[in-house]
Amino acid sequence: MATTTLAPRAGTWRQSWVIDWLTTVDHKKIGILYIVNSFLFFFAAGVLALVIRSELMVPGLQFVDEATYNQAFTMHGTIMIFLFVVPVLSGFANYVVPLQLGAPDMAFPRINALSFWLLPLGGILIFSGYLFGGAAAEGWTMYAPLSNARYAEGPGTDLWLIGLTLVGTASILGAVNIIATVFKMRAPGMTLFRMPIFVWTVLATATLILLATPVLTAGLIALFIDRNYGGAFFEPSAGGNPILWQHIFWFFGHPEVYIVILPAMGVVSEILPVFSRKPLFGYRAFVFATIGIMLLSFSVWAHHMFTTGQVFLLFFAFMTALIGVPTGVKMFNWMATLWRGSLEFTTPMLFALGFITMFLIGGISGVMLASPPVDFHLQDTYFVVAHLHYVFFGGSVFGVFAATYFWFPKMTGRRLNERLGKVHFWIHFIGFNLAFFPMHPLGISGMPRRVADYSPDAGFTLWNIVSTVGAFMIAISVLPFLVNLVATLINGERVGDDPWEANTLEWATTSPPPPYNFDRLPPIRSERPVFDLRHKHDAEHMAAERRAPEEGTA
Amino acid sequence: MGSSTAHSRWRTGHRVGSLLLLIAALAGCGMIPPEPETETARSVFTLYNIVLAMGAAVFVGVEGFILYAIFRYRRRDDRLPDQLHGNNLVEIIWTAIPTIIVLILFAASAITLGEVEARVDEPGQTIEVTGFQWQWEFRYLDDDEDDENDHTVVGSPASPPAMVVPVGEPIRLELTSTDVVHSFYVPNFLIKRDMFPAGTEGGGNQLEFTIDEPGTYSGQCAEFCGDLHARMTFTVEALPRTEFDEWLESAKAGETPAPSRDAAGTVLEISADEIAFDTRELSAPADQPFQIHFTNLEGVVHNVSIYDANDAEILIGEPITGPDAEITYDVPALPPGEYTFICDYHPVADMTGTLTVQ
Amino acid sequence: MTVDAPTSMSADIGASHAEIGHREAGMPTPLVGMLLFIASEVMFFGGLFAAYFNARAAFPGEWGPPPPAHALEMLPIALPLTLVLVASSFTMQFGVWAIRRGDQRALRNWTAVTLLLGVMFLAGQLYDYSILGFGIGDGVFGTVFYTLTGFHGAHVFGGAVGLTILLARSVQGQFSARNHVAVEAVSMYWHFVDVVWIALFTTLYILG
Ligand code: HEA
Ligand code: HEA
Ligand code: CUA
Ligand SMILES: [Cu+2]
Repeated sequence: MATTTLAPRAGTWRQSWVIDWLTTVDHKKIGILYIVNSFLFFFAAGVLALVIRSELMVPGLQFVDEATYNQAFTMHGTIMIFLFVVPVLSGFANYVVPLQLGAPDMAFPRINALSFWLLPLGGILIFSGYLFGGAAAEGWTMYAPLSNARYAEGPGTDLWLIGLTLVGTASILGAVNIIATVFKMRAPGMTLFRMPIFVWTVLATATLILLATPVLTAGLIALFIDRNYGGAFFEPSAGGNPILWQHIFWFFGHPEVYIVILPAMGVVSEILPVFSRKPLFGYRAFVFATIGIMLLSFSVWAHHMFTTGQVFLLFFAFMTALIGVPTGVKMFNWMATLWRGSLEFTTPMLFALGFITMFLIGGISGVMLASPPVDFHLQDTYFVVAHLHYVFFGGSVFGVFAATYFWFPKMTGRRLNERLGKVHFWIHFIGFNLAFFPMHPLGISGMPRRVADYSPDAGFTLWNIVSTVGAFMIAISVLPFLVNLVATLINGERVGDDPWEANTLEWATTSPPPPYNFDRLPPIRSERPVFDLRHKHDAEHMAAERRAPEEGTA
Repeated sequence: MGSSTAHSRWRTGHRVGSLLLLIAALAGCGMIPPEPETETARSVFTLYNIVLAMGAAVFVGVEGFILYAIFRYRRRDDRLPDQLHGNNLVEIIWTAIPTIIVLILFAASAITLGEVEARVDEPGQTIEVTGFQWQWEFRYLDDDEDDENDHTVVGSPASPPAMVVPVGEPIRLELTSTDVVHSFYVPNFLIKRDMFPAGTEGGGNQLEFTIDEPGTYSGQCAEFCGDLHARMTFTVEALPRTEFDEWLESAKAGETPAPSRDAAGTVLEISADEIAFDTRELSAPADQPFQIHFTNLEGVVHNVSIYDANDAEILIGEPITGPDAEITYDVPALPPGEYTFICDYHPVADMTGTLTVQ
Repeated sequence: MTVDAPTSMSADIGASHAEIGHREAGMPTPLVGMLLFIASEVMFFGGLFAAYFNARAAFPGEWGPPPPAHALEMLPIALPLTLVLVASSFTMQFGVWAIRRGDQRALRNWTAVTLLLGVMFLAGQLYDYSILGFGIGDGVFGTVFYTLTGFHGAHVFGGAVGLTILLARSVQGQFSARNHVAVEAVSMYWHFVDVVWIALFTTLYILG
């Protein structure tokens, strides 16, 4: 391979180190590349969010004009979703899933590397619109005909389309890899119903990606053809249909939101049991709820289109609200996991608890939006912006931070400083609520989203000030996090292989794990092999207890 | 000294506390929508409150339990708690409870939806509402077939239009757009509906409502439609029927006939397409009247207006909508100098230019 | 589908190094990957087909190529091309069966024939494009027609590249009865491309 031919010529350790990372096909290194790359995009999109919030703090245009503002929120939404949350969770999946399955690597290591490298490429293309007369500015939803060449001139939108096609291809290849890994690479004894919940959620996510993303790709290409080759898919003046774009986009877009929440739910389902010292309550119910959400998520897309007057309102309203049921089952199982546990409030646990408390708020606002008459009032107002940040940020991103604190010792052998971690959590948590809770009242009183300015008489000013203050608090909370990362890498506490007394197989190997992960595996007789190993004397008793309520598990 | 710092700390604590309380109270009130001003708005309002109450109950129950668990079960010693793996009965119970909530919400939503979507045979007034980048056109349809008789109001970002309507009778809006998707939204009516470009199959939406009280209600475009989306505002002015009739009568009478097109002298040519003028520079002779012959090549409303260096109006051109519409504006004699010409409907760089008079 | 560890409760050792990552039972991993990839391709074409049917349902006028061009006809080009592609699916499968028996020569010959048929199909389609009399910019029909057939063509091209590699490798005798996953994978893909064409042909030419 390229590495071996280049290595002798690479004079210094520095060069070989760089080349090693650039050409690696090790799932652990690729996972870390994913995570680092995603955080860089998070900071970029976060800075755009600060531009948005600064402009909105008080009425009038202070910092940017409308065109710049529109680019800012389009890029903010696009980057946050496609280049931060989705890939960062893929990164954790990449790192953790083979370890949790007791596998030496992913099924297709080279394809794994390819699907990573497409991401920065796509991201740079999307951003490069800024260099060619302005980035895309039609919102992350790119509604036609606003996104047709007539109304959206310039290469920014084309670059957005090309970039997203690459990013989408990357995640499809990644999904193929994950599913094949789960079905072909499990260690002996790792039956499907002994897989950690995180693996289940990642499997469900990969299935969603595999089935939903290609539809978006088809739409992106159709729009590209409309824009560049005189196509008429979405152009009403040529007989095309702009509503078709909305159907295609949301057929993908709604599964997409579960793509970013399911793995985060998986993370939380790993962390709560560890720090409650109990098994996850209702493992099987949890698996079925995950599958239920996965299936339902293909039948609700038109809840984003209630106000178009073009969809079967009651059907989509019912299916949408129904998704609250499996999600509720998960919520209640988490609560029961805490119940009569022995809770330890480490930083990962705090972020996991932050997830369940905040995601609940986003879930409830989602169910409110699922009622069409209520949505007629709230659609495209800040209430939706509040909803989406409570689920994305309060949900997925809290999950991402929980995962970072939780698996950092596995990746590096060192634990992030707990004190700084708690400072990070609390500033983050308070800032988050200050930034996004006010968006509910704003939306309810009628403030539309995607506006650079609002009337001073509308009564929106106070809440916008609070929200902007909150946004800057979130930005500040990132500082202790970054300091913590750097300081720990240089001089962090070395904590051994299993600092949290955790349950799953990744903790059965060294930290960081060797190439190909395991020399030897513990026996796998439940979904908590490492727990069983630690409590060997109870193991038989435990296994007997397990069989009783869950007959039929192989 | 100790006591005074303690005191001031208490005072700060008190302040922070009351601020937090204030915020919480505001947030609580903030969760209630604006005063509903139409019949349908009232039923949406009721539904909203039911939905909110259910959400609040779930919120309090779940968060309450989590908080309780956090305080009650914090780790005190190294003992391993009971290893509870699950219980099928509770799983069934907590699948059933949300299902019931969902069914109730669904039933309530379905009933309200019926009320919101109800249509009368004979609305008191039908108005054709057309959205364009970036403003509104309201056309008051009357009984005769002749479009020329219909009264039309067109807004511009600088002066958003008012939609005058009678109270106490059903108003029907027929919603379309000349370009991209817009959305008609009045917060006090608790309703919005998207407006699709003409020609979109199935895209001809309607909205119907009956306003209770005379008053002025502000509205705004709610679907992102490009640069000046934020400035697509309007108001709804509800008047008693008699006053409305008087208004409509006088508005129709006051409509200026098309300006004469026969004066001689200099004629400047300008045209508009794809939200851009074909030229950004015009020049005209000083101190004598001239004309501007304006061609609008696209199906989007445009006009040409002239402002002097102090932004005072010289000419507010009548708007026209193509494709291939033409109009001739008469411009009074102007002193030498630089003037700005602009499309009031699209005050963007591509539709702004300099008129040099010398 | 899953292999269990020895069930004896006293065994404290799980898998040893040699056992980790070896799951020979069931379908070979590359074929699993290919099947999953094909699943995503199904959704891709599903999206395009949905766009076709939506465009057709929403179209105000009469559906079909824009006026100067005449309606699509099966003869003289489309129907023969369909036969060519269907035939190529058979020749591909003969190749697969051959190598399963270990017959390298037959694999090579059948692969060559399949490749030839694929190239014939592509050439025929390009010729068809050149005489159709409407382009991708000619109304909704033009757009969906060229997008669907164009993407299908691109997939045939991709398959042809795969076949070329397969041919080169089989000339070098790289495949055997035990070791021919690549042949199976390419054939799966080729059959898929064939099925898409049959769906396209039915939609565009038979349903009209
Ligand atoms: C991670 C992302 C994520 C997640 C998980 C969700 C989850 C949900 N979303 Fe959300 N949504 C978005 C991201 C997400 N959403 C985004 C980004 C948009 C805006 C896109 C845009 O326009 O830009 C959006 C918009 C959006 C809309 C359209 C709003 C509009 O534009 O008009 C609707 C409407 O129905 C909706 C509903 C829901 C529902 C019902 C859920 C449910 O899954 C929630 C389920 C969870 C719970 C209900 C809480 C726990 C349950 C219990 C404790 C049980 C008991 C409770 C009850 C039965 C009430 N969402
Ligand atoms: C995962 C998704 C995600 C996340 C995490 C966020 C995070 C944030 N979002 Fe996001 N947002 C969306 C997804 C997300 N958003 C989407 C999908 C939309 C809709 C877009 C559309 O309408 O098309 C949206 C829209 C949106 C709007 C509405 C814009 C409008 O409609 O006009 C606003 C307004 O306040 C907003 C604010 C914020 C803020 C303040 C944060 C903050 O929490 C961000 C916090 C992060 C930081 C502040 C970064 C910290 C970094 C630094 C301080 C720099 C350090 C730098 C170095 C070390 C190099 N967002
Ligand atoms: Cu018109 Cu927004
Ligand atoms: Cu959705």
